[in-house]
Amino acid sequence: MTDELLVVNAQLGDRAAVAELVRRWRLPVWTYARRMLDAERADDVSQEIWLAVVRGLPRLRDPARFRPWLFIIARRSVTDRLRAEYARAEAARPPEEPVADDPAEALVERAEVMAGLAGLPVLEREILVLFYLEDLTVQECAQICGIPAGTVKSRLSRARRLLRAHLTEKGYRP
Amino acid sequence: MIQEEPRLSAQEMIERLESSLSKRRRIRAVTALLAGLVGAVFVTSLWATEPGPLPGGTHTAFAVLTGFCLAWACYGGWVLTRRAPLFATERVIAAWIAVAASVTATALVTAIAVIRGTGPLPPLAVGALFVAASLTLAWRAHTRRAHLLHLKRTLGG
Repeated sequence: MTDELLVVNAQLGDRAAVAELVRRWRLPVWTYARRMLDAERADDVSQEIWLAVVRGLPRLRDPARFRPWLFIIARRSVTDRLRAEYARAEAARPPEEPVADDPAEALVERAEVMAGLAGLPVLEREILVLFYLEDLTVQECAQICGIPAGTVKSRLSRARRLLRAHLTEKGYRP
Repeated sequence: MIQEEPRLSAQEMIERLESSLSKRRRIRAVTALLAGLVGAVFVTSLWATEPGPLPGGTHTAFAVLTGFCLAWACYGGWVLTRRAPLFATERVIAAWIAVAASVTATALVTAIAVIRGTGPLPPLAVGALFVAASLTLAWRAHTRRAHLLHLKRTLGG
């Protein structure tokens, strides 16, 4: 059964469909929270996210947009916990860079991302998690983060560069 | 690298969401909202149609009773909007309960007004507003549910 059909069933009031959505999306949501926060806070935030999802589900207008909607809620909860860190990152945000197509740079491995994430600033960490670990599209990342698609691309480009530098510094060789 | 896992299993997470998914909680909230609103209209109409001047204490009692009913209505509304919003099918049921409650309350209050000789028009006008509002809610709930059922059929469910 597709996510969209599950969401429709859940919105009609089928509790089993809600449970199935939790089973299906529990790990991706937790993974996002865990990559952004420490283990204890990730567990608390995951519960908070699911509570907000269950409360907001009847009002979701377009069931086909469940995935970005879910991560918008998840991001809101994570942002609440990292308010100071986000404020610092936004204040120190470098000017937007032009994005050159670089296929080699796009080939960042999942394992690389996992290994280097913790050392990255919050905005770059967030965009890498959403794009590489949650397999969201640039458009979906833009919607979730509330920024234009061009900014997502430049942020991804900067994040990949920072990740490479960080991994090289740690002696990591792909 | 050690593979990390969430502390809660899927089943434990679902169990923690039970109170937000509880039908009983929704029924209680709808009851609080409707009973509060109907009670407030009923007490206010009694208050407004009292023949002759009332002592200060009676005014206070009516005001307190009205406030009490409105507080329950606010609580029910808060639960339904913030804590346990209704799913599509439940919205249809709740809207028809609201229609029934509005019609009953209008009939009751109009009957009291007629018995007390204050004229049926004011209660009928207020009642008509409540009935119209609840019928609008019922129409919107049916439209939403029909849209979801259509979507479900389209998706092969």
